Amino acid sequence: MAHYEPPKQSKASQLIDVVVLVVLTVGALFVPLWMGMAGAAKTVAEAVASPTWEALGQTPAQAAKYEALGYTPESAHDLILARFDYSFSVGALVAMVVVILLYYFLILRFSDVEYREVIAEKFGQK
Amino acid sequence: MMTDTDITSPVMDGMGPHGTKVGLLRVLGPAHVWALGVGIVLVGEYMGWNFAVGKGGAYAALIACWFAGILYTCVAMIDSEVTSTVAAAGGQYTQAKHIVGPLMAFNVGLYLVFAYTMLEAANAITAGYLFSVVATMTGHTGDLDQRPFIILVIMFLAWLNYRGVLATLTFNLVITAIAFVAILVLFLSTSGILGGGLMEHAALFEGHELPYGWIGVLAAMHFGLWYYLGIEGTTQAAEEVRSPARALPFGTLAGIMTLLIAATLTWYICSGVLPWEYLGDGVNGSVAPLFDTARLSGSNGLVWLLGFGTLFATLASANGCINDASRAWFAMGRDKYLPGWFGAVHPKYRTPYRSIVFLVPIALIFALGAPLDQVITFSILSGLLEYTFMPLNIIMFRKKWPLNSIKRGYEHPFHPLPALTLLTLCGITFFAVFLGYGTQLVAMIGFYIVVSLWFHFWRYRFVNRGTQFTMPWPKPQGY
Amino acid sequence: MDLWNWLEYLAWALSALFGLYMIMDWLKTDSSYSEDVLTSSREGELEAMTEEHKG
Repeated sequence: MAHYEPPKQSKASQLIDVVVLVVLTVGALFVPLWMGMAGAAKTVAEAVASPTWEALGQTPAQAAKYEALGYTPESAHDLILARFDYSFSVGALVAMVVVILLYYFLILRFSDVEYREVIAEKFGQK
Repeated sequence: MMTDTDITSPVMDGMGPHGTKVGLLRVLGPAHVWALGVGIVLVGEYMGWNFAVGKGGAYAALIACWFAGILYTCVAMIDSEVTSTVAAAGGQYTQAKHIVGPLMAFNVGLYLVFAYTMLEAANAITAGYLFSVVATMTGHTGDLDQRPFIILVIMFLAWLNYRGVLATLTFNLVITAIAFVAILVLFLSTSGILGGGLMEHAALFEGHELPYGWIGVLAAMHFGLWYYLGIEGTTQAAEEVRSPARALPFGTLAGIMTLLIAATLTWYICSGVLPWEYLGDGVNGSVAPLFDTARLSGSNGLVWLLGFGTLFATLASANGCINDASRAWFAMGRDKYLPGWFGAVHPKYRTPYRSIVFLVPIALIFALGAPLDQVITFSILSGLLEYTFMPLNIIMFRKKWPLNSIKRGYEHPFHPLPALTLLTLCGITFFAVFLGYGTQLVAMIGFYIVVSLWFHFWRYRFVNRGTQFTMPWPKPQGY
Repeated sequence: MDLWNWLEYLAWALSALFGLYMIMDWLKTDSSYSEDVLTSSREGELEAMTEEHKG
């Protein structure tokens, strides 16, 4: 296998590569945020009109802890009743599985091509 | 054929440079490795793990704690074997480069840098919050501007890292030990072993055993990782420990044992004192659960001890993250996976100084510009992708270089059981992340697909082919 | 102005100091050593040494 000689990279080109990476990184985090698609918020399904510890489903022992933490039934109302929504569509789940498998297939495939080249140059052809 | 090279031999310790005129300094011992691993993670017991309680209730968090413990025990075992053979800065990046291939290595390198830089940002946010709490407790009126404190934490720790690895990790050893002892003291003084106990598990769990049913247990796995995330970072020190083949497995395995103890104690203490709805809400409820438990104990001494414990844990973690992220970035620069400019070592302090400085503004962008749970999720996702890579890595490692072909400093037992267990648990965790943060998961993987294409079709042309394979191993089987 | 207002200013000042130190030292180092020396670190030194010892 012929020895591969990489080109020397100029300072300007190095700088561009760094900028590209940083932009992609910041984009991956902030784009979902800007589009308001990020995160799993908890919501209160059924509000209790005039909450007492009992109406919030708390035993006296549990209520005592909340009082020690400085809560009243009113101020603890949202904290206690808010719940996540775990319902999901099968379609979205399948889409996620496909994306993950595609990703790993892609990198393993390309990696293998590059790896064979490395081994051939390092150890010589079989 | 067994090669003659044996990096496990004691005479290999503390070797000087070869073609390298200025290289990283071999000064660390096993205790530093422990401090690096546990230091990064221990903050997870002080904040963040309790989101798992919110996801599925207290029992779900305990189940997640133990299943994540199994996941990380597999990670530590697999990592110890590979790294006791591939001892170079860059850790899993260098492993991937030798075992799976360049593009995988590039991806793994980015997982590492992101997981650690995001975690560093999360730590700085938490430290800023702590300062504002202390300000209020000491009678400050009005809102404290947290930004200067967030920036100071990152600047100070970057400066420490810049000046040398020995001081950096010795500092970590001291503050990590204090933070760990604080958890033990809190356990001893609230569980009833010393003096009156505060624990009321049965009364607090009554009626709230599994508030979401079993799907809540699955969902809790997402933040179950937070109990241990970062322990695999010990391998980044490989080029700076005196005897990597012995110190790295020892430090890593001692680290995971420490964390299993700390995680279980933390769950026990907090769930026995704080009601689950409060404990599980890390934003509006319990931001720092161990600290909140200390406040309910009524002892001023405990409040101060756990306050300092929380602060030290965040500092130790951010410190270790700067260390690890810069090593991974540096290793990629050295191989031209990233611009070669980053592969520089400071001639006096012997640290990858350009990488350290470059990552400071990146950490600041996320610490000042993004909400805490998003930053944590980004960190967890990068970690999760990395743990999914590990079983592939070890299976290929054992196949290409069977046990009798190269000498390992540590061989993990029951192969391939740990690899398959790890893969299964990663699958479950992907599902857990999907339940809450599916959009981010897809955005993140979309990002990795784009940069992978960028690397394969553009960046890889600057990389030397044969010479990037630096280990003195025989030709892999099947090639 | 209470103690914490002063601490805010102090934190800003210290941050600037640490940042300046790193930037100054970085520029100084880059100008007093050649790029070849600074980027001479190679992976696998440990392994290279053993091979050399075997001679």
